[in-house]
Amino acid sequence: MVSPEMQKLAQERAARMQAAIELKEPDRVPFTGLGGDIVAAYAGITAYEFEFDFEKNRQAAIKWLKDFPADSPVGGIGGLDNLAMSVAFVDFPDLANQFFMVNGPMNDVLNMKFARFPGRQLDEYSSRQFIGGKNMEPEEYDELIADPVKFSYEKILPRIAGNLADLGSPTSLATMARLGMVKAQQAAEMRKTGAALAELGYPTGGGSTFAFAPLDYIGDHLRDLPNLVLDIRRYPDKVKAAAEAILEVLVKWTLQGKAAGAVQAGFPLHLNEYLSPKLYREFYWPTLKEYILRLREEGMRSRLFCEGWHDAHLDTFLELPAGWGIAAFEKTDVRKAKKVLAGHTCISGGIDVGVVISGTPAEIDEYIKRLLGDMMPGGGFILGPNVGNLPRNTPIENVAAVYEAVEKYGKY
Amino acid sequence: MREQLLKSFVDMDEQEAVKIARELVETDGGAVAVLDTCKEAMEEVGRLFEAGEYFLSELIAAGDMFNQIMEFTLPKLQGEEVASLGTMVLGTVQGDVHNIGKDIFKVMAEASGINVIDIGIDVPHEKFVEAIKEHKPELVGMCCLITLGVDSMKRTIEVIKEAGLRDDIKIIIGGGRVSQAVMEHVGADAWADDAARGVRLSKELLGKE
Amino acid sequence: MVSPEMQKLAEERAARMKAANELKEPDRVPFSGLGGDIIAAYAGISSYEYNFDFEKNRQAIIKWNTDFPADSPQGGVGGLDNLSLSVAFVDFPDLANSIFMLNGPMNDVLDMKFARFPGRQLDEYSSPQFIGGKNMEPEEYDELIADPQKFAYEKILPRISNNLQDMSSPKALATMARLGMVKAQQAAELMKTGQALAELGFPSGGGFGFGFAPLDYIGDHLRDLPNVVLDIRKYPDKVKAATRSILEVLFKLAMQNQHADTIMFPLHLNEYLSPKLYNEFYWPTLKEFILRLAENGKKSSLFCEGWHDPHLETFLELPAGWGRAMFEKTDVRKAKKILQGHTVIQGGIDVGVVISGTPAKIDEYMKALLGDMMPGGGYICGPNVGNLPRETPIENVAAVYEAIEKYGKY
Repeated sequence: MVSPEMQKLAQERAARMQAAIELKEPDRVPFTGLGGDIVAAYAGITAYEFEFDFEKNRQAAIKWLKDFPADSPVGGIGGLDNLAMSVAFVDFPDLANQFFMVNGPMNDVLNMKFARFPGRQLDEYSSRQFIGGKNMEPEEYDELIADPVKFSYEKILPRIAGNLADLGSPTSLATMARLGMVKAQQAAEMRKTGAALAELGYPTGGGSTFAFAPLDYIGDHLRDLPNLVLDIRRYPDKVKAAAEAILEVLVKWTLQGKAAGAVQAGFPLHLNEYLSPKLYREFYWPTLKEYILRLREEGMRSRLFCEGWHDAHLDTFLELPAGWGIAAFEKTDVRKAKKVLAGHTCISGGIDVGVVISGTPAEIDEYIKRLLGDMMPGGGFILGPNVGNLPRNTPIENVAAVYEAVEKYGKY
Repeated sequence: MREQLLKSFVDMDEQEAVKIARELVETDGGAVAVLDTCKEAMEEVGRLFEAGEYFLSELIAAGDMFNQIMEFTLPKLQGEEVASLGTMVLGTVQGDVHNIGKDIFKVMAEASGINVIDIGIDVPHEKFVEAIKEHKPELVGMCCLITLGVDSMKRTIEVIKEAGLRDDIKIIIGGGRVSQAVMEHVGADAWADDAARGVRLSKELLGKE
Repeated sequence: MVSPEMQKLAEERAARMKAANELKEPDRVPFSGLGGDIIAAYAGISSYEYNFDFEKNRQAIIKWNTDFPADSPQGGVGGLDNLSLSVAFVDFPDLANSIFMLNGPMNDVLDMKFARFPGRQLDEYSSPQFIGGKNMEPEEYDELIADPQKFAYEKILPRISNNLQDMSSPKALATMARLGMVKAQQAAELMKTGQALAELGFPSGGGFGFGFAPLDYIGDHLRDLPNVVLDIRKYPDKVKAATRSILEVLFKLAMQNQHADTIMFPLHLNEYLSPKLYNEFYWPTLKEFILRLAENGKKSSLFCEGWHDPHLETFLELPAGWGRAMFEKTDVRKAKKILQGHTVIQGGIDVGVVISGTPAKIDEYMKALLGDMMPGGGYICGPNVGNLPRETPIENVAAVYEAIEKYGKY
């Protein structure tokens, strides 16, 4: 059972996040916490154990969150973006979201060509990795445009899932049955983890689901990124039409997450830093913008993780209504973003993990102090790392220095 | 014609650039002219990238054009003396299986005249040592996309030191998660989080600019 | 945790069954117990709840086995024989056996044409029912003979499962994923039920798997029973060849039950056939199946549906101690005369008597039965069919259990 004290803590944490998202000043700057490979290392287990053994994973997450509590939990079973499968099964709302993240045991069943997991295709101390690949020829754009769901099912799935290469074969049907078994077993484990997190004072409910810029679906899963940037020049109309067709499917899919209780949609942007403002505005942003607006109409907020440099595209956010959601940055300086977006867009990030990996506690204290000093005033800021993954060898005293600095300098 | 090729290449006019190059390569001394012009164009694209006018998609498009043109140009250069700036061993470090950043860099580095020995992805520490012994490069490039690569680069450089080879080479690290702090942490000589900067610094490390 | 007392009870029960199975006399006649629809009624729940709600099912089973403890536990999530699906997936040993019994939630996913469940296609107080059907034409025997597994997968599954009609469709793949989810959820529930039964002193381990007479697979799942009887006369060679092909697949399937020490065969076509036809078409592959299992250390247990009298002697072709024969209409006394010291006999309690008798009559009935059947051992007392209806008088059930204690000691 969750103690009244922990229930209160959960409410405080939720309120802190909510205030920042609503562009206000909370009691203390909300902090998403540090995590990644370090969580497994801190518990003394391999990345393989962390990815494949749910009991060890849960214990590692609990240990980390007890020692390094933030305003949202980190850790848990991670996975790789398996969007093509969610698209293929979008007409089955009980399944589409469950297939989205392919984790280690799921990949043992499916054998996805884009996936590499520790203890399987990789060393057991390695991180899981998405390696992409070209799964569609340019001649197939018309098919994709006509029906992205059918195309993803009939053409893409067999090309990306080793065990679904022949749809309708006994192997393919057995694979799906095994996948269902794995998912049901994992759901039971996830409930246990959720209960453990609630006991540590983390808010339950009001979760987050996923969303993707339509062009990223093409770049990450269909054409491979380098080919897509060439396609934009060679077949601009087809690329645009495909993005529009994909938008409809992805919105439907994200709203299935809303029906399951999500209030926020997380977009990991990928192609953004590859594109000039001209190409971004012509090919990437229109469908992404419409996606965000449609979710907002449905009462959802969006959180965009802007991978790499997003400097050139910052002002596009201003086309959205104030309070639309959160922009999280990797390389773009959050101070620069704040100048453009204060009072309009909640900003998240700011902690360069490179500093946490290679700095000293004193340097980190100073770094966080300055960061918070610049970013906190006026509210609408969520502190977090610029990328989600701290490597195994990150000095733990550096991690502690970040958490201490948040308490020291984070009060409003 | 050289000017037209240079302009269409830099302006990302793929069809026009390839067409001119095909014509030019058939003229007397044309192959050398095409090679030199494309190198110059790649350098200009890199400059525009560093100036913030061009983005990664232009680097990729330029690399693709360069490769297309070289496909029919290089066979005609056999027997010609092609100057090399030096040799570089290039690989994505152990534990990381990504290749996109490495591949973008590789084309640009080759276009700049560096002889690149690509030893692949997820390269074990020892394989870097073996490649250094075999190819005796002036420069070693290590790539990573994920943060795990930071630990792996550090370890690779330690292994190179243990093998007594560190003083013979310069090391540049590249990838989305590297920075000045990471460079100091792992003990490399230079860092780049984009291919254009990487090529520019590589040339500096080779003492060519 | 299972108490030492209950562990001891479990050992006693297991030893009692084992002695009878080895044709010996145990301390008391082993009793397989009564069950069926009455278990749900006794717990005050509908048949629909019993078949679809695993928590209610478990509570009903615990209540029944607490009040009416026998030597093996009674109750469980019932199911219908879904052999075609197991045959189709025999190359996937982790799946083939787990999808064999089609229970209510599984049928919600698969929508099998042969299945009727309470609260779905039937009234919520009804029993699950298998209704069969013709799913194969006589012209297809050659295909069946060539590859029974491929035939089951490509031809039969799409005909019997509404949701697997188009195997390469998204719907078919989604159906299999849902089936996997249901099975994993059920496995977790069944582990809980197993634990609860262990706490009631029932032996765990030494499970059983299923086997089928190859001709029954044709009769129940492919051609429908009336057609197979005609086929035997019209295409005798094809039918024989088909049973031989099917034997190989079914044997493989039975052997995939690594933890099973007994394979249960529900015989179906037996009472439809004259000894001549039985011996020519039914028995040869069934016999070989049993012998092969015996070679691999597994015993067989045959439930002989209907009248099996004309075929009793065929058991003597098997080595003594091969396994157990359970009888429905055949008089166990008659069977004992032929099979004593060779084959374990199970059954004897006519459920009609339990339904319609009085406690006094039942006491007398049981006394006579045990008096005739116990001497010499090798006998397991049990009902002639597995299902007592909901309305069975509970005092009659109690009378059976009391009589076992009263007259069952050796």
